[in-house]
Amino acid sequence: MKLKSVYSTKSSADEVVSDISSQLKGFTAKVLIFFASSKFESSIGKKMQDEFRGVTVFGCTTAGEISSGRMIKNSVVAMALGPEIVSDVQVSILENIKGGVNAKSAFKSFENHFKIPVRQMDISNYIGMVLIDGLSGKEEDIMNQIGNLTDITFIGGSAGDDLKFKETRVYYGGKSYTNAALLALFQVKNGFDIIKTQSFKVLDKKLVVTKADEATRQVIEFDGKPAAQAYAAAVGTTVAEAPNHFMHNPVGLIIGDEPYVRSPQRLDDRRIAFYCHIPEDMEVSLLESTNIVDDTKEALAKAESIGPIAGIINFHCILRTLELEQKMQTEAYGNLFTGIPTIGFSTYGEEYIGHINQTSTMLVFR
Amino acid sequence: MTGKIKKMIDEIVEKRSKGNAALVPFVRAKLIMKGINCDKYTMTSEDDPVVIKKLEEIAKELS
Repeated sequence: MKLKSVYSTKSSADEVVSDISSQLKGFTAKVLIFFASSKFESSIGKKMQDEFRGVTVFGCTTAGEISSGRMIKNSVVAMALGPEIVSDVQVSILENIKGGVNAKSAFKSFENHFKIPVRQMDISNYIGMVLIDGLSGKEEDIMNQIGNLTDITFIGGSAGDDLKFKETRVYYGGKSYTNAALLALFQVKNGFDIIKTQSFKVLDKKLVVTKADEATRQVIEFDGKPAAQAYAAAVGTTVAEAPNHFMHNPVGLIIGDEPYVRSPQRLDDRRIAFYCHIPEDMEVSLLESTNIVDDTKEALAKAESIGPIAGIINFHCILRTLELEQKMQTEAYGNLFTGIPTIGFSTYGEEYIGHINQTSTMLVFR
Repeated sequence: MTGKIKKMIDEIVEKRSKGNAALVPFVRAKLIMKGINCDKYTMTSEDDPVVIKKLEEIAKELS
């Protein structure tokens, strides 16, 4: 077996680790990735590493978990990757990211480990994963620096804490980190693909950011008008009612034919605070939500048509989870992954080229 | 004067993609994420000094 995904809904960290270990008995893992509900104490990172000695173990906290065939809460999901999937891996932690991000140290460690300059690595044989403290607000900086330093794809998500918005953590090597980001670089054996799927129709209404505060992710003006007023007019509603449209009508940077979603979070007087920044001068299109289950089914079918899927890691926006819950579609969504070894979690933001919202970014191992 | 911004964008994309056509959309996507609306600029676009300065900085970052 190339990889194996498991989950545990046991109530204590000790029981969970023991349960996962027994489910993985006999499997030779090179890497173990786990996503844990924030209800578990931070020592779960050490317990997992202690249980799987000699294996590269890392993960993060979540706002809900995904396993093959189901969406879960208060659980731990884990994927063991065998040497038939991953030839080698190197993990690096960026600490104190709120004080400033410098990703160069991570890339230096990748070069030292793989003994090849990052710029010379074959981008079809290497794939990066990034897990970021979801309350740090540093995702854009980190993805920007990664994009400067390499052409290797980095995919991932922002760690969650079950909507408590108090503390998120990443785990590596038995340690638990807050205010940190984890970068993992895999050398893969059989290739990989990326699925980026969001369920929105691009509407023919555009807004240009004429004034923004990138540090606070606020748009102050669209088209020279107060952002709230311009957004409300584009949606066809009042400023007071605008927040009721945020989930259904976010905006998107259009790159190629694809929207890179920017989700409004709240009104700050006449400004709009987003879940990721939008630089000044950017033109965004108003989006309208479609059906997450149907669109994901189509995205998975497309990936399956290319070739067999060994496993999927799904970084799934918490806003999508909330929408699925609202529409009573969580079971249908989970069912889409039946038969495919899958783990994932509900994130506080997704990473692919940049920081995005209301999207699923999935790493597909072949 | 016009066209300098388009030329700078094309140069950055060409240098960073190193002739690999598959990389071109990713480099353009990176520029867009950095706040450069690549499709907006043509050879008739005014040479806006603010955008030119921003592109000079991006060229350094990506080099």
